[in-house]
Amino acid sequence: MKINTAILESQPFLRGMSGRQIELLAEESMSAEFKVGEQILYQGGPANRFYIILEGRVELESPVAGRDGVHVQTLVAGDVLGWSWLFPPYSWHFDARAVTPVKAIFFYGTRLRELCEENHDFGYELMKRVSEIVIKRLQATRRELAAHETNLLLPI
Amino acid sequence: MQIDPSILQAQPFLKGMTRRQLELLAKDSMQTEFGAGRRILNEGGRADRFYLILEGRVELELPVPDGEAIHIETLGAGDVFGWSWLFAPYHCHFDARAATPTKAIFFYGSHLHLRDLCEENHDLGYELMKRISKIVVKRLQATRRELAACKSKDNPSPARFVQQSAIEVEQF
Repeated sequence: MKINTAILESQPFLRGMSGRQIELLAEESMSAEFKVGEQILYQGGPANRFYIILEGRVELESPVAGRDGVHVQTLVAGDVLGWSWLFPPYSWHFDARAVTPVKAIFFYGTRLRELCEENHDFGYELMKRVSEIVIKRLQATRRELAAHETNLLLPI
Repeated sequence: MQIDPSILQAQPFLKGMTRRQLELLAKDSMQTEFGAGRRILNEGGRADRFYLILEGRVELELPVPDGEAIHIETLGAGDVFGWSWLFAPYHCHFDARAATPTKAIFFYGSHLHLRDLCEENHDLGYELMKRISKIVVKRLQATRRELAACKSKDNPSPARFVQQSAIEVEQF
C-alpha cells in the first residue's frame, strides 16, 4: 500500500523536500507493521530497505553467539532505520527488533538509488539528510566509545 | 595556492566527478602543510574547513581535562576529515593533530563556499554528499562494532565473539 503524501510530508526526515520530490517518494513507498519481538533486520542479511518509523520502538543490536545481543541504539517514531542499502556490499551490519508493536514506512533501496542517479535534485536532498543524521550518530558514538574507554582506565 | 584540477582528479574521494565539478571544487581549494605535532582542528572551534590528506598522518582525538587525549581515529593519505561545517552548530567535535609532517588540500566549507556551491548546483551537491555519506556510514558501522565489542568485554563473553568481531572490523 502506497503512503499518503501528507504522511510523508510530516516526517522530520523529509521536511523541506519539494512537493514533486515527496510525490516521487510516495510512488515508491510501502507500509509495514511488526509485532513485539519481531526481527526487522538480520546482521549479514541482504540490505534493500530503508525504514521511517511511524509508531513504536525498535532496538538495534549487535548479535553475540550464545547470549543476548549488545545494545547499539533505540529508535522511535520519526527515526530512520537502515543505511546498508546505500553502498556495496548491501548487507545489514546489525540486527533490528521491534520491542513494541511498530508501524513503519519503507522504500526499496535499489529504487531509491536509481531515483537519486536519475534526478540529482532529489539525490542531493536525500543524501544531504542521510549525511546529517549519520554524522551526528557517528559523533555521538565516538564520544560514547571514548567515554567507555576512559572509564575502563579509571581506577575503581 | 589554488589546486590544479588534475590533482583533485587523482584523489580517490573525488573519483568519478566531472571535469566541470572538479574545476568548481578547485576554485575553493587551497594546499596547506602542517609540521609534526601541529593542531589542525580544535574541539569546540568553528568548523569551516574540509580536508583531504595528500601526505602524512593525522590523529583525531577527544581532549580530556587534565588528562591525555583519547584517540579516536588515525587518518592517512587519501582520507578526508572535517564534516562539522555541513550542519549547525558548525563546531568541531574533535581535535585533529598532525602526527607526522602533513600535506593536505582544504576547501572552505562555510557560507558562500562549499555549502552554497552544493545548494546552487545539485549535480555537484549530490556527488559530494553521496561520497560523504558513504565514508561516514562505514565509519559509523566500524565505530558501533568497536563499541559493541567494548561493552561485550565488560561482561565476560565467549572468546570466539571477540575474535570474530576483530576480523570484521578489519574488513572495513
